[in-house]
Amino acid sequence: MFIETAKLAWRAISRNILRSFLTVLGVVIGVAAVIAMVTIGNGTTAQVKTELQRLGTNTLFVRPGQWGPGRASTEAKRFDDKDVEAIRDQVSGLRAVAPINRGTATVVAGGQNHSTSAIGTTNDYLIAQDWDLVSGREFLPAEERGQAACIIGETLRKELFGSADPVGETIRVSNVSCPVVGLLAAKGQSGMGDDQDDTVLMPLKLHQRRIGGTTTISSIILSAHDGVSTSGVQSDVESLLRERRRIGIGREDDFSVNDMSQIASTMTGTTMLLTGLLGAVAAVSLLVGGIGIMNIMLVSVTERTREIGIRLAIGALENQVLMQFLVEAVMLSIFGGVTGILMGLLLAYGVVSVLGVPFVTSPSIIFVAFAFSAAIGMIFGYFPARRAAQLNPIEALRHE
Amino acid sequence: MQAPLIEFRQVSKFYGRGEATIRALDHVDLLISQGEFVSIMGPSGSGKSTCMNVIGGLDVPSSGEYLFQGMPTSGFDRTQLTLLRRHMLGFVFQGFNLLARTSAVENVELPLTYRGMDARERRTRAMAALEQVGLKGRENHTTQELSGGQQQRVAIARAIVTDPAVLLADEPTGNLDTRTSTEIMHLITRLNNERGITVIMVTHEEDIAAYGRRLLRFVDGRLTSDEVGRKEAEIVH
Repeated sequence: MFIETAKLAWRAISRNILRSFLTVLGVVIGVAAVIAMVTIGNGTTAQVKTELQRLGTNTLFVRPGQWGPGRASTEAKRFDDKDVEAIRDQVSGLRAVAPINRGTATVVAGGQNHSTSAIGTTNDYLIAQDWDLVSGREFLPAEERGQAACIIGETLRKELFGSADPVGETIRVSNVSCPVVGLLAAKGQSGMGDDQDDTVLMPLKLHQRRIGGTTTISSIILSAHDGVSTSGVQSDVESLLRERRRIGIGREDDFSVNDMSQIASTMTGTTMLLTGLLGAVAAVSLLVGGIGIMNIMLVSVTERTREIGIRLAIGALENQVLMQFLVEAVMLSIFGGVTGILMGLLLAYGVVSVLGVPFVTSPSIIFVAFAFSAAIGMIFGYFPARRAAQLNPIEALRHE
Repeated sequence: MQAPLIEFRQVSKFYGRGEATIRALDHVDLLISQGEFVSIMGPSGSGKSTCMNVIGGLDVPSSGEYLFQGMPTSGFDRTQLTLLRRHMLGFVFQGFNLLARTSAVENVELPLTYRGMDARERRTRAMAALEQVGLKGRENHTTQELSGGQQQRVAIARAIVTDPAVLLADEPTGNLDTRTSTEIMHLITRLNNERGITVIMVTHEEDIAAYGRRLLRFVDGRLTSDEVGRKEAEIVH
């Protein structure tokens, strides 16, 4: 009996395939939005997790200003050499303290030029970031004091030198001529999607003087020894900096010390806000989709009044007519759901490939989307189906 | 003694209320036995269709009692009335009322489907019914591909496929030309004679009514005449 009902429903749907498709478009869009969103979100989360594992949890980032969504860090006072020395001398358990200044610079070599991220730092940066050299060496002490030298990333090498070894060549970074002394191992994209290999490292002093035109430091990366508590280090650094920056008791810090997991959770928070918004859009779309199904089922019941009358007259029970229309509505919305799931996955796959994050499907959300679309058909199909079942057979048979 | 197949005890059916009340059936008493062929005539609005609807369980009396095989139906709910139709009655309508875009055999199978019969047995019985109404070989024609007379034959096959006790025919020849009407009436008469199906037929044509062995006439909701044994010789040829 159920197979008969399903066949009947399929026949009714396929008889007017375009109308059926337009009817379920709302459900398609809603489900596709949910699936795409969750799949992309999963990919980003997976990427951040991988990054965290690679960097380890013993890395801390020190920046001026409070760091987080919607907060500008530019107004707070920047750090200087003395802050870095103070941290190095007074905080125990650190294996690297790397001051960082970032800037964008055009790099020229042998007729090729390329715009890249120029980072002024010290050898500690390589330790803190676990970054190996595939060729050449670190900065020499003389270079750390300001002599021209640079270490380049894999992307920059490809742009400027192709596959040749760049060590020993000379490049111009902005207007600074400096010999390449090392080549970084390739790292690929970061969790935020930028190319970490598109960079040139320079001694901090050189960067400050020739690129930044400053004596300050914009941020500091700390790396604790294995087994040292980062929260202990974090509070040590915080109290040291509060003292050095003369922040009175009860006043808010004008700097922040975060470890990777805190930064990741901030990022996740932003993602979740976005997910919530898109989820609301999807919910509205599903509601509209459900009403669309109800509407077209009501039209269908009116169109087929005579048919319903015949069925009732020759011995169809109310429940059998109810089931017929309910199954039709559920089948419609399930088609919408399945189409939505496929479209959502396709969309997510596209976005994920562009972002360069992994494609992580979640069977549970696919199941939920499927069940939800079936439920929509059931809820919004019930009213029209009941109307069909309760028709008076005499009047229904007279209907033209 | 066996109870009569159909019995009306003072059955009335009113529509509307107050001054505007229409008495579609006005205290009708009626007995119909197994195997009869009853024609019902009357001008439009005389109550003949309402009488038919009440017998068919499509409508319920406002007062009085309708007994089917001696069983009072006044307490029946919609489901019980449906089951009465499903198991005891077969309907043939003036407008054929077949499902569009559906093959003849599928139309005939429909009442069996609602009984939950399995597909193979359904097909066998539907084919047999179609053969009985002379449509062997046209099983897979859809409704649109059949002539009016053929459509009415499919409808009759659909009505008898369940082996009902009563065949209710509401103006079965109303949409057909004279020659086709004669064919359909011969078919209905044959079913009545050979299978013993009780036939109750509403019509407004005297010569069609004459196929029945008993003629009821309704005027203003009242049963005004009940004649038996008319023209029987002519029908048998």
